[in-house]
Amino acid sequence: MFRKLALIALLAAIAGGLAFFWLTSPKRMEAKAMAGMPQGVADRGELVFWAGGCASCHAAEKAEGDDKLKLGGGVVLKTGFGDFIAPNISSHAADGIGAWSLQDFAAAMRLGVSPEGYHYYPSFPYGSYARISDNDVADLWAFMQTLPAVDSKAPEHDLAFPFSVRRGIGVWKLLYADPSPVINIDGNDAVLLRGRYLVEGLGHCGECHTPRDFAGGLIRERWLAGAPNPEGEGRIPNITSGEGGIGSWSVGDIAYYLETGFTPDFDSVGGSMVKVQENMAMLSPEDRAAIAAYLKAVPEHASEK
Amino acid sequence: MRKSLFVLSMLAVSGVTAVASEDPVATRKALMQSNGAAAGLSGGMMKGEIPYNAAAAKAALASFNAAATAFGDYFPEGSDMDANTTASPKIWEDMEGFEAELDKFQTAAAAAMQAAGKDGPADLDAFKAAAGSVLGTCKDCHEGYRVKN
Repeated sequence: MFRKLALIALLAAIAGGLAFFWLTSPKRMEAKAMAGMPQGVADRGELVFWAGGCASCHAAEKAEGDDKLKLGGGVVLKTGFGDFIAPNISSHAADGIGAWSLQDFAAAMRLGVSPEGYHYYPSFPYGSYARISDNDVADLWAFMQTLPAVDSKAPEHDLAFPFSVRRGIGVWKLLYADPSPVINIDGNDAVLLRGRYLVEGLGHCGECHTPRDFAGGLIRERWLAGAPNPEGEGRIPNITSGEGGIGSWSVGDIAYYLETGFTPDFDSVGGSMVKVQENMAMLSPEDRAAIAAYLKAVPEHASEK
Repeated sequence: MRKSLFVLSMLAVSGVTAVASEDPVATRKALMQSNGAAAGLSGGMMKGEIPYNAAAAKAALASFNAAATAFGDYFPEGSDMDANTTASPKIWEDMEGFEAELDKFQTAAAAAMQAAGKDGPADLDAFKAAAGSVLGTCKDCHEGYRVKN
């Protein structure tokens, strides 16, 4: 009797382990979906590049001007889970991602899976990038291949156990990966839809402006309501129209801030938002206005006291 | 009359110094508020919300210049612990880097003041050039050395 029970327990454990292994295994995009990827256009990809904020983490810490196009990585994101270090994503074949295919790139951007088939940590915001269109992924890839090759390998992440176990990211993805839109937009308002695409997808604004639960999953019920600064001091501001947010800002005020870095009362942008604002300044006035329109449309949340 | 004015101004100056040594946080905040007000006036004119006026423009630039000259003196060791401060502890960890940013602000403000001349910048475009280079330095320093809550 006892042996039988033990055998059942053992089988259950094996089955559980297999299920865990299967459920958490890095899924590659289906070949069929990949076959439909369009040919990218590098010129169009430049705007995708700025909207996506790639340089903010993957260029050197104080890069200005053309140095923002040297994507050698190395920027450290200090968090409660440990130090995440942005890798080299330049066109260098060995140290960067120059040897990748468009399919490899799309799987990395939208599924958070490497060409070797392991999970990336969600410090790489593929949870947001999952919403990027095929065209933008292809254009971005075309543009990034025109950028300089940087020969230097960035160090590995320095994380505490159990976050250092990559397999755990598979569980994280099961729990949190959800490329569906966060905010419902009624009807076919092209400006709001564009704004949503830029904020929820490419711009990945929610990654910092939305609070996270204990396991680092975004709390959608508090979308853009502000959050503790993952890097330590201060708070990331509430950018909804709720109390403590930016309800008093007009659409024009928000667009002006994204363009110039000045708030309506002429305080200046600061902290890690400086790099973001400089990226937003590269977009078209229509795109900045679309972001502003979307931010005015999201549900209001009061700031956490 | 002239003498009493002189005495008055000395009093005013010593008054400022007394406050400063007692409360560097309050002093640097007051200086930054005057920057903010000058930026508001400058920005309003640059956006066309406030009609351009050369004297007002000069007052804004003079205010930047005065604040830039004095600001760096009010960050003594230990003044990062005040509950009211939004100055980042990084200032004291990296005083050299902070001073380099401050230097950019001072250089731009002094040049703008120089360009303003006796009567202030001749027109809005001249003012935009002068004020723009000053305002451009705000975020360079706020990027690393200010904490917002």
